[in-house]
Amino acid sequence: MRNLLIVLTLLAATAMQAQDVKFGKVDDALVALKAHPADSSVVASVVHRSVYVYYKYVEGDGFHQYRDVHERIKIYTKDGYDYATVSESLYHNGGDREGISSVKGITYNMVGGKVEEDKLKKSDQFDEKVNAYYDRLKFTMPNVREGSVIEYEYTVHSPFAYSIDEIPMQYDIPIEHQRVRVEIPEFIVFKPRYKGYLMLQPEFGKRSGKINLVYNTNDYQYEAGNFRTAAVDYEINTITYDMKDVPALEQEPYVNDMDNYRSAVNYELLYVQYPDSPRENFSTSWDQVVERIYQNDNFGYQLNRTNYFKKSLESLLSPEMGPIDKLAAVFFHVQQRMNWNGLYGYITDQGVRKAYDQQTGNVGDINLMLVAMLREAGLDARPVLISTRDHGIPSMPTQEGFNYVIAQVVLDQGYVLMDATSKYTKPNLLPVRALNWFGRSISEDGSSSSLSVFPSAPSKELHFVQMDMQPDGSISGKMRSQYTDYRAYTYRNRYGTLSEEEYLEDYENRRKGMEVGTLERKNLGAIGKPVMEVLDFTLEDGIGVVADNIYLNPLMFFTMAENPFKREAREYPVDFAYPWQEKMNISINLPEGYQVSSLPESVAMGLPEDIGSFSYHVGQQGNTLQLVVELNINKAVVPSTYYQSLRELYKNVVQKESEQVVLTKIGSDGDQKRTTGGR
Amino acid sequence: MNRIRILLFGTFFSFLTLAQAQNLEYQALVLPDTLTRHADAIVRQESMVVHIRNPFRMEIEMERAVTVLNGKGDAHALAMVSYNKSRKVGYISAAAYDALGRETQKYKQRDFRDLSAVDGGTLYSDARRLYLDYTPVSYPYTLVVRYTLEDANTAPLPNWYFLSGYRVSTQESRFELRYDSPELRPDFQESHLEGYAIEKESFHNGFRYVGRNLPAIRDESLSPPFTEVAPSVMLRPRRFGYEGIDGEVDTWQDIGKWMHQHMLDGRDALPEATKQKVRTLVQDTRDTLERARRVYRFVQENTRYISVQVGIGGIRPISAIEVDRVKYGDCKGLSNYTKALLDAVGVTAYYVHVEAGQVKSDFKPDFADLAQGNHVILAIPYQGQLHWIDCTSQTIPFGFLGDFTDDRLVHVIDPEGGYLVRTPQYKDEANGQVTEARVRLDAEGTLAGSVEVRTSGIQYDSHYAIQDLKPDDQVAIYRRRWGYLENLQLEDLRFKNDTDSVRFTETLTLKATNYWKKAGNRILLTANAFNRLRYVPDRYRDRTLPFQVLRGYQDREHYQIELPEGYKPEAIPGPVAIESPFGSYRMEVQYLPEEHILEYKREALVREGRYDAEQYEAYRDFHRQVARAESAQAVLIQTQESK
Repeated sequence: MRNLLIVLTLLAATAMQAQDVKFGKVDDALVALKAHPADSSVVASVVHRSVYVYYKYVEGDGFHQYRDVHERIKIYTKDGYDYATVSESLYHNGGDREGISSVKGITYNMVGGKVEEDKLKKSDQFDEKVNAYYDRLKFTMPNVREGSVIEYEYTVHSPFAYSIDEIPMQYDIPIEHQRVRVEIPEFIVFKPRYKGYLMLQPEFGKRSGKINLVYNTNDYQYEAGNFRTAAVDYEINTITYDMKDVPALEQEPYVNDMDNYRSAVNYELLYVQYPDSPRENFSTSWDQVVERIYQNDNFGYQLNRTNYFKKSLESLLSPEMGPIDKLAAVFFHVQQRMNWNGLYGYITDQGVRKAYDQQTGNVGDINLMLVAMLREAGLDARPVLISTRDHGIPSMPTQEGFNYVIAQVVLDQGYVLMDATSKYTKPNLLPVRALNWFGRSISEDGSSSSLSVFPSAPSKELHFVQMDMQPDGSISGKMRSQYTDYRAYTYRNRYGTLSEEEYLEDYENRRKGMEVGTLERKNLGAIGKPVMEVLDFTLEDGIGVVADNIYLNPLMFFTMAENPFKREAREYPVDFAYPWQEKMNISINLPEGYQVSSLPESVAMGLPEDIGSFSYHVGQQGNTLQLVVELNINKAVVPSTYYQSLRELYKNVVQKESEQVVLTKIGSDGDQKRTTGGR
Repeated sequence: MNRIRILLFGTFFSFLTLAQAQNLEYQALVLPDTLTRHADAIVRQESMVVHIRNPFRMEIEMERAVTVLNGKGDAHALAMVSYNKSRKVGYISAAAYDALGRETQKYKQRDFRDLSAVDGGTLYSDARRLYLDYTPVSYPYTLVVRYTLEDANTAPLPNWYFLSGYRVSTQESRFELRYDSPELRPDFQESHLEGYAIEKESFHNGFRYVGRNLPAIRDESLSPPFTEVAPSVMLRPRRFGYEGIDGEVDTWQDIGKWMHQHMLDGRDALPEATKQKVRTLVQDTRDTLERARRVYRFVQENTRYISVQVGIGGIRPISAIEVDRVKYGDCKGLSNYTKALLDAVGVTAYYVHVEAGQVKSDFKPDFADLAQGNHVILAIPYQGQLHWIDCTSQTIPFGFLGDFTDDRLVHVIDPEGGYLVRTPQYKDEANGQVTEARVRLDAEGTLAGSVEVRTSGIQYDSHYAIQDLKPDDQVAIYRRRWGYLENLQLEDLRFKNDTDSVRFTETLTLKATNYWKKAGNRILLTANAFNRLRYVPDRYRDRTLPFQVLRGYQDREHYQIELPEGYKPEAIPGPVAIESPFGSYRMEVQYLPEEHILEYKREALVREGRYDAEQYEAYRDFHRQVARAESAQAVLIQTQESK
């Protein structure tokens, strides 16, 4: 066969930069501007941004990826100075490394009616070795003041052609104009995945590319006179996002991770197909995604290894065990033995066998081992791919959409989900990080289906309180509390390692004014059961006594003092992570010689679509007050359309819970008197 | 398919089988109470040998074995070592042991991660660290780390703490220092060794300390920083080398001279154009302080804080000419630059080393050491007084230090070497907050009216930044400050920042709903609407540490609350007066019938101070009484039956 040397030269890509915005040409009027024309509270804004991702053919190495970045930012106030510092991470692995070149920067300032320029020097740029895989280039622009316009551009070169970094489309400051263009040769096919709340309107197009190939027809490569050239024409797919006035991403409370809501585009590899070569598929449908994941040696193969745990499994199981007993035995064994090293991933890190030996591993190591053991125990166990809460929601079939795996066991009655990476979870109770809409369950035959990972049953916190009140207003009582599911999980995470003395001090300092006599806690280590607390207490500064009247907030330390939802409007959903119920059952024995002269009214209210409810029931039986107060949130995530209703409900809760009971001494009048302190 | 709920019975335990290879030294099953009480971790064995060969070579040999009892103790067993271009790691290894003392893992140098040690405010630093990412397999476990370091600098020298932090005990701790010639012998200072089993042994060209069975100290709120209660030995070199420069120092003056000669001299040149610019700024005044003010404002408006730490940059400022070009720098660079600008207009300023932080920390008068101090400010002598400026803040007023550098001994470095002096203190009444309000409560419970808040001293420091926030964020701050005010609406928010007198005034009109608690035909009204001092210190069953109130304050309120029609006061809170060594409190509520107004006056003073553990309960009681008085309520009753 003829020895073929391909020398490739590249046809320069036609400049695709935005027409009107050239580096180094800044309008004097922009530099002179003192405040943002539309919103004086803007600390800085991106006047223009362009990101241009494209490919070039590199001799002997195939396509390489390039990213040209150009940003022009107007700094209005000192709080905007942070945007004058730029940091670009550069990945390397083995001999392949990303590089950065053509870094240019200029700061423009208006000085005495004239624009002055300060250039970014090489000595102002710092290369930093971050860790084994990443370097970082950092620089901050010189001579930045209020009013400065800064501008910089650079090119990132990457030999990792099949992976395009996430392109953020939204910053913490407004972007007045941005143009993001991605040009990909027809041989490499990606699918875009959008994130966030902005409407992205890509414009798709095509243009042609050409690679000049140089053949050497001679075996002796460098002998002159034997070169022939040929050209390969191909298509380049172009996607352009041209956006004006992109709003800043505003921070809002009770959001799991603001970055979940930042608009951005990800490109996920579907397949690669070069001329005269077979197509190499990466993903298209859920089935294909799953198939590819399954084929990975660090996934499917790991499920088939069984030798390493055979002995332990035998000692765990006995013939008379039913499926649920088996499931529990295996789960608690893996949970107890394994220690999560904090790393995510649906594939194994060190492999299940080594992880089992060393008792530590990533999510893949631990939960795939769990699936394998459950299967070996004769159960229909399946891995479930999921995306954690900080990883966004997997709406399209892609491998990158997942970053985590849990275990599922299918029983006649239904299914059970498990994650053995946390010490405080149990079957059907996943760690909060894993609660993110739905997962993809893979059965042994390779087929897959979607299932919800949100817990449907509410986690409960129940308090039963019995109090005796003395005429001087002092109170002593007994309380029995119960925490189930996620409330127990949170309790164990928070207080699991505290000694009893430390817990008591913490408890009293959370419930100021309370002094606890004896405390008994049960089931702290029995993960399958609710945490129980029994204690007796006295209240230091319980009630307001005003001569003949006692003013008493019957909810005491359980009163919700503030509405957590202070904002008037909200764009993002309210994320409770799981449905829950808080219920207080309080009975108060009133002091002799007093009668109730005023009681709050009992109420009950609900949110639309059974999202939540609040009820407050008060009654009197002889000398005893009875209160049952219940707040329910029945959805893990409440859409922002219900925000007003939710806020209103909480407002009512705060108001209701502040209401007082008035007790009057039998046979007194009602003149003006001096109060002592009180609640 | 439905997800089902299942019930589980009991938990399952796997039992360990005893193996042969175990190091009884590190077994953690049987440990004495003295070491486990209040402890999250136990330093089983720690030993550091520091060998100063010559001013430009120091060798360190470290071994540290820590038994971690629970998750909170993990941080004390970190296998981590910092290095940089002058300080090289020779050898490092680690091993993990289980509760029985059996070795479970071995780590070589290549198992450690090599990370950049850059923190938030820093653009670049050549500081790096080797770090072992160890995942505990079970508790207790023991992690042993061994490493050697070679350092081309012999200043600063390591200080030795016999306890590694709150909630860590020590079984054995050894510290040994050797030097090859007598002039390399450092000075040392012992602190808090009394009451601990710590022995010292001196020998030719060196000494050694050994501490054994030192119980853990529990952390308690308001307690002093750990370094102020922990047994320790501080070292300072008399003869040293730093980044190739020789040093020989004894007094603070010597250090100042060395700083001047090697780190500051010749770094204050400025371009002529810049000199001209600042001279123009001050040409119409001869007053030194006014000139200084204007130059300081120029610096605040034109520079920003960015830190770049490379080699000698740890102590030496980047040159004024460089800062002038890029308009950024760290505390050293910006201070040196400002000093040069001041010099250009004939104002003398001194470079000042200070240990900055919310906790006040003094330089040690009789223990001069380059290692003390983490920040640089300037002192300007004027009419026999020093005026202080911090050049890293773009907003803080001229002459005001705030709680970052107030009330502590600092090193003022003049060309003769300088001296220690105390920075200004903001004491008790100086940290004031006055709130005046005129509001109206209607029969629906809506509170509306105007409020003015004036702050000074340290309280100024925690309020004035609000003026630079976005309107949304300003509103969010008030909603948090007055979290108990429902549906708080703010209008007409105005701020006055008087930087000359360091006073900040907030005026606003507000509206909030449900400002009462209903009880049938009565209304309960908390008279203190805008500044409730509800803080009660944590309760301890057995307080052991002394405590400190770092800064005092005085809050005064004067409100007039117009009451709703159709209601009259049934009971109003009686006057409260509390006198205590910790502060004082006076509160008075009056009903003015003609205007139908409830008038609330209150003055609370909390004094700064350091107190013994025995006084803690009394301090707590003082705050409890205050908190109780702060929640005093007036009771209003409806005057007509139906309305």
